[in-house]
Amino acid sequence: MSKSPPFRRVLIANRGEIAVRICRALRELGIESIAVHSEVDRRSAHVLAADHAFPLGGNTAQESYLDVGKILAAAKALDAQAIHPGYGFLSENAAFARAVRAAGMTFLGPKPDAMDRLGSKKAAREEAIKAGVAVVPGTEQDDGDAALAAAARRIGLPVMVKASAGGGGRGMRLVERDGELAEAIAASRREAKAAFGDDRMIVEKAVFPARHVEIQLIGDKHGDVVSLHERECSVQRRHQKVLEESPSPAVDETLRRRMGEAAIKLAKAVGYDNAGTAEFLLDERGTFYFLEVNTRLQVEHPVTELVTGVDLVHLQVRVAAGEKLSDLLRGLDLRPRGHAMEVRICAEAPEQGFLPAAGQLRLVREPEGPGIRVDSGVYSGWEVPVHYDSLLAKLIVHAPDRATACERMTQALRAAVYLGIPTNVDFLRRLVDDPDFRQGRLRTDFLQRKPGLGRGTDVPPDDLVLAAAVLCQAMSPRAATAAGTGPVGGDGAGGAAPRSTAVWRDLAGLRLFGNSSGGEK
Amino acid sequence: MSSTRRTYLRDGAPVEIAAERVGGDHWRVRVGPSTHEFRVASLGNGGVRIVPVGAEAEPACVAFGVPTGRSFMVRVSGRTYTLQEPETGPRARGGAGGGDGTVRAPMTGTVLKVLCEVGDRVTADQTLAVLSAMKMEHKLLAGIDGVVRTVAAAAGDSVEQGAVIVEVERPEESS
Repeated sequence: MSKSPPFRRVLIANRGEIAVRICRALRELGIESIAVHSEVDRRSAHVLAADHAFPLGGNTAQESYLDVGKILAAAKALDAQAIHPGYGFLSENAAFARAVRAAGMTFLGPKPDAMDRLGSKKAAREEAIKAGVAVVPGTEQDDGDAALAAAARRIGLPVMVKASAGGGGRGMRLVERDGELAEAIAASRREAKAAFGDDRMIVEKAVFPARHVEIQLIGDKHGDVVSLHERECSVQRRHQKVLEESPSPAVDETLRRRMGEAAIKLAKAVGYDNAGTAEFLLDERGTFYFLEVNTRLQVEHPVTELVTGVDLVHLQVRVAAGEKLSDLLRGLDLRPRGHAMEVRICAEAPEQGFLPAAGQLRLVREPEGPGIRVDSGVYSGWEVPVHYDSLLAKLIVHAPDRATACERMTQALRAAVYLGIPTNVDFLRRLVDDPDFRQGRLRTDFLQRKPGLGRGTDVPPDDLVLAAAVLCQAMSPRAATAAGTGPVGGDGAGGAAPRSTAVWRDLAGLRLFGNSSGGEK
Repeated sequence: MSSTRRTYLRDGAPVEIAAERVGGDHWRVRVGPSTHEFRVASLGNGGVRIVPVGAEAEPACVAFGVPTGRSFMVRVSGRTYTLQEPETGPRARGGAGGGDGTVRAPMTGTVLKVLCEVGDRVTADQTLAVLSAMKMEHKLLAGIDGVVRTVAAAAGDSVEQGAVIVEVERPEESS
């Protein structure tokens, strides 16, 4: 893909690892990147990765990354020609996509009309039914709490209560007993209101036992849509994906083709013209039911990139600029090669009921080696803010087969160091080492049925561990100071700089602030 | 050469640890009643590579550690331990109820709902309040059976990690 860059400058309306990943892709395409950031994110990894940075002010998502007016003003001030929305935040907001277009810029995602027609679960269901794709039995609209409860009883428990505008597991609950129905609807409404500004709900039959298998699609502006095959995302906790892989251990070539065709049919019916994902439930008989379309890049897109060899962000940029998929993919063998697996490293304590954590990451050492990719949004000394979700980084491995991928993942997790706040790294290793996981026996309730994986076994520290802890402090005086020093930097001679500058001593030369965007504090 | 000394809890009991350089890369570490000798190399950044003297043929152990308040977080051979110093203050509690009656905010967030009033009789693991933090809802559960003595927060309040939300008293204490 060595052609002239389709845009000179692109603004990334996001933060964290995905914004860093998009910066990299833009750089490869010869495009300058603009990061936007909240007050608390002013030293975040995505700001360091970008060519330009613009402060949005504020700290909550509402007053920063969700503020359409501020983001458009930033794009105008720094003369962006296009905006990449990443995932989450405004990525599935058709009104935002329209506002970007109205301001004379390109939205690096599907056209707003396609987002409208597939964006809400309700609309997507109707489109799927029209296109002849099987859906899970359920309601198509929200006629209030009583009607939802009545529908749930008519369909028969267990049911899923879901935010119509939802995604990422928020505003979604499994209800198994009648007595839980009212509270589940109320709690999901509150979460949906907070997360999406829309508290409408739908009710669907819970298909059990089933796998969550999704199809990665990419469309262009010339009516072409290509399937880049499935990802298996059955390992979930509270409907948030924990580990994703491709290919699915349950999908053979025939099923892959059938699911791909169903997804393409749906996408073509609405003129879908960028990256998107059709999610399905796959039951034990191999029957698949359409769930929803995510009209954006997914968190787990790297596993598809590793098995197909394409760069989805490159493709998003190029098709948005009007290029044809038939040109972009010409001569490429897109059949899945080997096996890829991703885990989401999060600031949370699985051993304490997966309680999210915030605070300073005092030491980060990310794994490396053949077949290991780390999409990270953190560094040593960075403070994880309380305002956003807990994803720190994604660890992705690629190997010739699933067994080798599992072994590579467990070794990469062993080598990973994220210290200072609780993380789920040890939990992920227990998961990857689980015999049923190794066998590929996955269902959406896999983690629910294995609560021991979360808790772990509480092994008391042996003498070696206690000795190691004291030796760390004896050998490295800076590691022994309890407060305020940045952990990176090899002088080891104390010299505790104030916390605010310790980070900069280590990053000197990477990035200078105070450019034309102004306002940086 | 002076030694580096720390005390950490193991199975709830304090263990004294003292590390002393014998010479070169040779260290002697006393852990409670036992004494161990190691060859130690610093990896910088709070990291060490350790080989027990006499077990040079065994795989080496790599450890990284950082202090976090009154505990020390150490990752040894791919496993993380949070070592507590003795007499740490009352710990923040969330999720499953623990031993005492004080229900605290497990993290900084906003109180969504308070589901009890002063004088209510509650049972262990009953949801007493709901906190919104990191874009998720968290139920705050009673740690013990008892009677609500204090409700220190109301819906809409912003609370810091560790803030007391509800205090529950055992029935015998309230009489």
